[in-house]
Amino acid sequence: MADTEQILAKMKASIEAYDSDAAVAAAKEAATAGMDLLVAVEKGFAEPIRALGEAFARMEIFLPQLILAANAMEAGMAVMEEAITAIGGELETKGVVVIGTVEGDIHDIGKTVVAAMLQSNGYQVHDLGVEVPASRFIESAKSLNADVIAMSALLSTTMLYQRDVIELLNNKGLADKYFTIVGGAPVKQAWADEIGADGYASGACEAVKLLDQHREVWAK
Amino acid sequence: MNFQEVARRGETGMLMEANDFLMQRVAANVMKLQKKYDIKWDGTTLVNLDDDLADRCWEAGKELLLASGVYSMNSRRVIGFNEEELDFALRFAPSRVTMGQGKDVVTIHHRGLEDPRRPFIFGGPFNADTHEDMFVKLNEAFAQERIIDALFFPGYLKELDGQMIRPTSGLSSRAAILYGQWSREAVRRAGRPGMPITGHAVMALNEIACTNEAWGLRSTDPRAMVLISELQVNDVTMTRLAYYQAYGCPIYMAFTPLVGGYGGGPDGTAIIAVASFIASILMGADITHLGPQHLKYKQQTNQHSLFMGSLANQAVARNSHIIATTSHTTAGRPGSAQYAHEFSALALTVVASGSNISGPRPAEPLGFNNVSPLMARLLAEVAHAAAGMTRKQAAPIVEQLHEKYKDKILLKDAPRGQPFEELYDVKTLTPTPEHQALYDKVKEELIALGLPLT
Repeated sequence: MADTEQILAKMKASIEAYDSDAAVAAAKEAATAGMDLLVAVEKGFAEPIRALGEAFARMEIFLPQLILAANAMEAGMAVMEEAITAIGGELETKGVVVIGTVEGDIHDIGKTVVAAMLQSNGYQVHDLGVEVPASRFIESAKSLNADVIAMSALLSTTMLYQRDVIELLNNKGLADKYFTIVGGAPVKQAWADEIGADGYASGACEAVKLLDQHREVWAK
Repeated sequence: MNFQEVARRGETGMLMEANDFLMQRVAANVMKLQKKYDIKWDGTTLVNLDDDLADRCWEAGKELLLASGVYSMNSRRVIGFNEEELDFALRFAPSRVTMGQGKDVVTIHHRGLEDPRRPFIFGGPFNADTHEDMFVKLNEAFAQERIIDALFFPGYLKELDGQMIRPTSGLSSRAAILYGQWSREAVRRAGRPGMPITGHAVMALNEIACTNEAWGLRSTDPRAMVLISELQVNDVTMTRLAYYQAYGCPIYMAFTPLVGGYGGGPDGTAIIAVASFIASILMGADITHLGPQHLKYKQQTNQHSLFMGSLANQAVARNSHIIATTSHTTAGRPGSAQYAHEFSALALTVVASGSNISGPRPAEPLGFNNVSPLMARLLAEVAHAAAGMTRKQAAPIVEQLHEKYKDKILLKDAPRGQPFEELYDVKTLTPTPEHQALYDKVKEELIALGLPLT
């Protein structure tokens, strides 16, 4: 049986090589090695993905690598989660985020970057895609027991639909249940304030900072 | 290739998810082609001087498009092309397009590398949020700049009658109609009633409502549509294309490759840019517009985007007769010297590399009407002065300009600037003394740097 350090090294290497198959294999080794699985998750997957997130922010790696690394981690984490649950443990995530680009807006990349960065920083992220109607944001947040609803809009005109999500949450009496954040090229803090969003982020790193800093407010 | 065939393939091509298209067809192939053709940025060069690299980038871009195709976002199908179709489309791509009416007719043409001919100037508000009360005056102020050949994207009506405009609403149709009327009124007031208006009212399909020979945008006006990053189209673009082609408008097709995105760095993104130039021609474009975005800086005058713009334009200039233009988006805002330093650096880069000119505008306008016709004049003057300069002559000036602003290109650090109504006397449509003084000062600076401005 490989020792703990070797398994952790394999887990880390799988993320750094953006290799989902290797991440699954290393996670399976960890699951059967009798090691502390929560430590394995932190050292083997979380630390390297955070480092890649920082490298991405410095533009030392680019979007495809970040997405592949996030995919590798997701694949490995599925194995780890099952193993941790089997021994009665619970996997900690920072929080559950549903994210999407609002109705009428087909711009995908900015939202994808934010999703990947949140994921690489320990959030469980559910990407709803583009042209997401207000009701779908809310239904998804309910069904996934989300903490945060993140809305992207890349056009001045589609910003209106960010307002609609928040207005609909208010009308349904759900405004206090979710932390709402908005972003996108034409979006500013003033708009977030005007529509009653809980936060505004100008980019992916800022979104991570925003949620980390306001954890006390939104954590259930 | 005609529209019908493109549309047919959009309904019958391979069905796949968008993420798979972007990761497997685009990102994976870019990585492979970068290695195959040895396309690598050295980390410092702003203006590419390597002709062989430009030619390799052209070949890589062609190969990427053949491998990836164009993704139809609504049908989720890939519009594929073969080599023969690609070569045929390039052979018969227009190399010159005439637009406008009467005495205001102008012609844009393909520019070669270090071409001595003056670039064509698309100048205007460039879709900056424009307030309805200022729309006509602001566009008149651009149109009265005779150095501008075609009015460019005459402002973005975000609000009308005190109401924010929802993209597919009746109000957005009304906004599109007024956009057409007011743009025509502006060029008429400037004494250029036939001046081409490059239309992009943005409001989904409703923008077609601004089309009218008598009072709006005409068949002699270029109409803009966008290939979505990367190498994607949607039904809105296809519908615009069908309508404007049938109506007879020159097709102005823009694409916005994302530096730091699926193409990776500036080198890989240049391959996507070349593929996008060619894809635009296959889709039916007459004029192609490179408007790169940057994941971190969100503007186009950073070192990555300068290099990318130089390499992609050179690839096109040397290997095709495509009509190319490049947009100018800056961190600094109108009313600041940085605004002019940034667009001058980019104009020198791309004009020497074979492009025409579109812009300028700030990447993040602060409020409404954050544009300056006087600065559009300066951009055009710089672009004219750059015509005939070699890349070796342009490069050191670009480097000196880049030095001036490189530490202030994050949008939060860039000068805030002023709106049109603070930079101009809106009754006489003349720049304020302060704005004129800024123009004079920057022009002196540029002359001192070696730019042959008069």
